[in-house]
Amino acid sequence: MRRAFADALIQVAAENPRVMFLTGDLGFQVFDTFIQRYGPRYLNVGVAEAQLVCAAAGLALEGWRPVVYSIASFMTGRAYEQIRISVNYPNLPVVVVGAGGGYTYAASGVTHHAADDLGLMSLLPNMTVVAPGDPNEIMQLFPQLFQLPGPSYIRVGRFGEKSYTADAPAALGRARLLREGERLAMVSTGDIAPVVIQAVTMLNAEGVYPSVYQMHTVKPLDTAALDRLAEQVETLIIVEEHLPPGGLWTAVSDWRVRRERGPALLRLGPPHALVLGNPERDELRQHLQYDAQSIADACRAVWHKARGVLTGMAVDAAQQF
Amino acid sequence: MIEVTDIKPRVDVAQLAKIARQVRATCVQMAHDGKEGHLSSALSCVDILVALYNYWLRVSPENPKSPDRDRFFFSKGHACTALYAVLADRGFIPKEWLSTYAQHNSPLPNHTCIYALPLLECSAGSLGHGLGIATGAAYGLRLDGVDARVVVLMSDGECNEGSVWEGAMFAAAKHLDRLLAIVDYNGIQAVGRSDELMGHTSLEQKFRAFGWAARTINGNDSSEIIAALDDFPFEPGRPSAIIAKTVGGAGVSFMEDQVLWHYRVPPTDEVQRALQELGEKPLHRG
Repeated sequence: MRRAFADALIQVAAENPRVMFLTGDLGFQVFDTFIQRYGPRYLNVGVAEAQLVCAAAGLALEGWRPVVYSIASFMTGRAYEQIRISVNYPNLPVVVVGAGGGYTYAASGVTHHAADDLGLMSLLPNMTVVAPGDPNEIMQLFPQLFQLPGPSYIRVGRFGEKSYTADAPAALGRARLLREGERLAMVSTGDIAPVVIQAVTMLNAEGVYPSVYQMHTVKPLDTAALDRLAEQVETLIIVEEHLPPGGLWTAVSDWRVRRERGPALLRLGPPHALVLGNPERDELRQHLQYDAQSIADACRAVWHKARGVLTGMAVDAAQQF
Repeated sequence: MIEVTDIKPRVDVAQLAKIARQVRATCVQMAHDGKEGHLSSALSCVDILVALYNYWLRVSPENPKSPDRDRFFFSKGHACTALYAVLADRGFIPKEWLSTYAQHNSPLPNHTCIYALPLLECSAGSLGHGLGIATGAAYGLRLDGVDARVVVLMSDGECNEGSVWEGAMFAAAKHLDRLLAIVDYNGIQAVGRSDELMGHTSLEQKFRAFGWAARTINGNDSSEIIAALDDFPFEPGRPSAIIAKTVGGAGVSFMEDQVLWHYRVPPTDEVQRALQELGEKPLHRG
């Protein structure tokens, strides 16, 4: 995904001479082509996230379209004040890129965990919040951020992920149908989507056919798609690599409680707790039961049982961790 | 490109001093009427603002957003009565607006807001943002070949913020010599003295150590301010910093150099005493 991001950036910079890229001293060799081609439109601000964001705000005031880049935890947490005041308050079109959102850097420890990035960014009134699922979604969605009049946040995963295939294009602000199914739908965001697809492949072999929607845009939430979905399915399984508060689960729950009737909700994802012990991300997902096997198990159970019964159980199970 | 009308320099120092007294009288009246203090911070920077807007900044009330204008980032947002009064005096905003200061839906809120007053370059109220934003603007303008000067007015207390020094480092690294930072060094913070909080170290030396050309002046003396502005940029290839030593509450004897007057709102009798001392009426009570 990181490579796809670098490619998408070059593509956008080629089309729009006002695009400028600012990094907080990260991305060694990743942006060499960009530097070669666009020299002064590349700025390494140093390990200074506050300055990274304020400089971008000043550039945006002068009509540039800055992209700021750092590790997701530093980008969203360290520079929160500057994003909130210097970018979000005046509604400046700065694209904030969080590299390695969620538990991409699980093994690097708590300092590098960014399972709160979507929540922090979603709290900001003007912010559009996007978490693509694969390199292909980055290529499709990143250019769309430059059509926005205000700021946006995009979570970018690690290197080397494979793209999945899906007929529907990735349109900003629209839920993307990845797999057509029935009775229940899984709704994912970010790079847990390929894991969900892996789970669905397993389930299909058993005759279980859930739908999969990738909610790459967490804010604004595509409530119209959810409203349509509510007429079709009994249960929505939300899968996200984010703390329970502030991410997709919160957004969908907010949508659900405003409806009189609607599908039961179930959440798969990490609990509201620190992750200690520096696990590899795949180990973590397995341990916290949102790896492909766990997702398939949860989905199968819902498929075979009456609507709503499992909701409470699943929430309780999640809280044990 | 739209041409910027150069302000005709009003180099008459006595004239600047008179404007400064009017502006101070205006600040005192506004603080009283709006029931919002920060007079210490406002009065200390009046002479700097008067010099900038009457002598140096290439900005025009007729075309406040001209692409070639000098950019002025007022970063110590709590001191905005002084800015509003100077803007009114220069014809950027109607003087009648001054009586709405800090009222609900006023164009002049008690911390500057670009939605309320769009002719400003930025909103302020949270310290430590102005310099960073100004560095970005200066870099962008240079790439565009626009020869605008970019000026930031900060407070000394603001220099407690780490983000100021992140911005200072960047400005030197990128050789932003069209950038001028002015620190209103009034020595007073919200609940303490800035020297104590900074460990009695020199702001000028700090800026120098960060690669800036810096000098310290009396920031309540119009001649010294003008002389420093005339010398800008102090060194080619380096951003310039003016450490403007000022007196908190300058111009009103009983407000001078007292932490009390960071927040205190003057009651009616004190407003009268202040106006008498200044010998001028508020601009909107003329």
